[in-house]
Amino acid sequence: MSRPLWLEVVHKVERTIGEPVESAVRSDTYFDVVARVTRARRKGINLVEGVSRRCLHLVNLPAGTDLRRVREQLGRIERRLDEITDELAGG
Amino acid sequence: MAPPFVPADLIGRVTRDVERSALRARNGVRYVRGTHRPKLGVTPKDVVWRRGRAQLWRYRGGPVRHGPPVVIVHSLVSRSYILDLRPGTSTIEYLLGAGLDVFMLDWGVPDERDADNTLETYVDGHLPRALAAVRRETGATEVTLAGYCLGGIMAMLYAAGPNGSDVRNLVLMATPIDFDAMGPMVAALREGRLEVEDLLDETGNVPADALYSGFYMLAPTTEIAQKATLLEHLWNDEFVEAYQAMGQWTRDHVPFPGAAFRQVVQQLVRENVLTTGAIRLGDRVVRLGDVRAEVLVAMAERDGVVPAGATEPALGLVGDPRRRHALYLPGGHVTFGAGKAARRHTMPRLTQWITSHSDARPDPEEAGCKSAASSPQTSPPSNGSWRGSPSTIGPS
Repeated sequence: MSRPLWLEVVHKVERTIGEPVESAVRSDTYFDVVARVTRARRKGINLVEGVSRRCLHLVNLPAGTDLRRVREQLGRIERRLDEITDELAGG
Repeated sequence: MAPPFVPADLIGRVTRDVERSALRARNGVRYVRGTHRPKLGVTPKDVVWRRGRAQLWRYRGGPVRHGPPVVIVHSLVSRSYILDLRPGTSTIEYLLGAGLDVFMLDWGVPDERDADNTLETYVDGHLPRALAAVRRETGATEVTLAGYCLGGIMAMLYAAGPNGSDVRNLVLMATPIDFDAMGPMVAALREGRLEVEDLLDETGNVPADALYSGFYMLAPTTEIAQKATLLEHLWNDEFVEAYQAMGQWTRDHVPFPGAAFRQVVQQLVRENVLTTGAIRLGDRVVRLGDVRAEVLVAMAERDGVVPAGATEPALGLVGDPRRRHALYLPGGHVTFGAGKAARRHTMPRLTQWITSHSDARPDPEEAGCKSAASSPQTSPPSNGSWRGSPSTIGPS
């Protein structure tokens, strides 16, 4: 079944806008901007996390970064336990 | 000449349009409210093995008429329910209906505990153990190993490794080999316009939203056309459900473990080592030509994520040249699990290839067993007698 006229128009308009947008997001400039924005975002997050960490540590509470570190350590312990389990099963 | 005016036709068209408008209004409200979302990945399954976030599922089906069991290795960046999207349009359901014993190796949702996971963690650590669990569960000595997207790379590296002799058939679905033929995001990583460290978050992984943005930005305006098409078909419950299911999967990515991402970018993207037919994995070199299995390279002709050109080199590199088979499918990257092309082409042809390279088991119905499985739309030969020639299975 053919598409109604209004839908044909929407699809044509979308392609008219879409093609230049797609070529723009494949350009060097776009990826430079993405990289800069990502770095700026990370700096911002680090800044906010640093402040909140100090505040939380002042009242003797763990911050998100502390929890993350604990989870990373748990991951390492988990992997080591898996290795030991395999060694025991193999032996 | 214009057709003669028939009042009954006009009344019929008006009645149909009124009915559709009412259905559009009802479905529109449901869509906006977010109610009546389809349930995804609902084929019953049991967890038969787990390690960390990874789990091996065994799907519950009817009688098994073909062996060895099929183990699907999913990608590291997307959700595995794409292969079990909705009842009636599920690749898993189709394989079960054809009498195959189906397992899925799902990597779960990585977090900071997985940031150190490398390709070796998956290929040398998780995969052999998951396959050992399959052997324990089924008693089979061999498997059909099928990998989707990056999962195909892991399946291939396993099959080419020291334990790979237990892989009878290797199915590579949209598996990239030539990363120079991949899209603009990969090109940006290759050319150093994007650095790995730019993409990692505080957990040490590439966050799911960065992956979603990367795929979304390949064609950022297509959503307008998609929404307009939805509006036109809003009266159609089936269309709305399929649209919602696909939309949910498209937005639902998982973080990419940081260490594995570094490895992928360095070895696969920048050095493009898979095109040389060998890759260093840990302290050994894996040669793709060492795969001993029958190999099916399945690719979608309109795949914008992993173009067929990125997958095709597998036909010259993986396994024995006499045991390589190509399957060209209409559709895009998701044709392996969703869409009309999946139902009409992918599911029947993929299943047929697998069953024809499997052994037939005694018909359980004859043995007095009762089938609990739903039948697929078309059934492949159940006696396993069909043998495809070791050549290209072209589009029909």
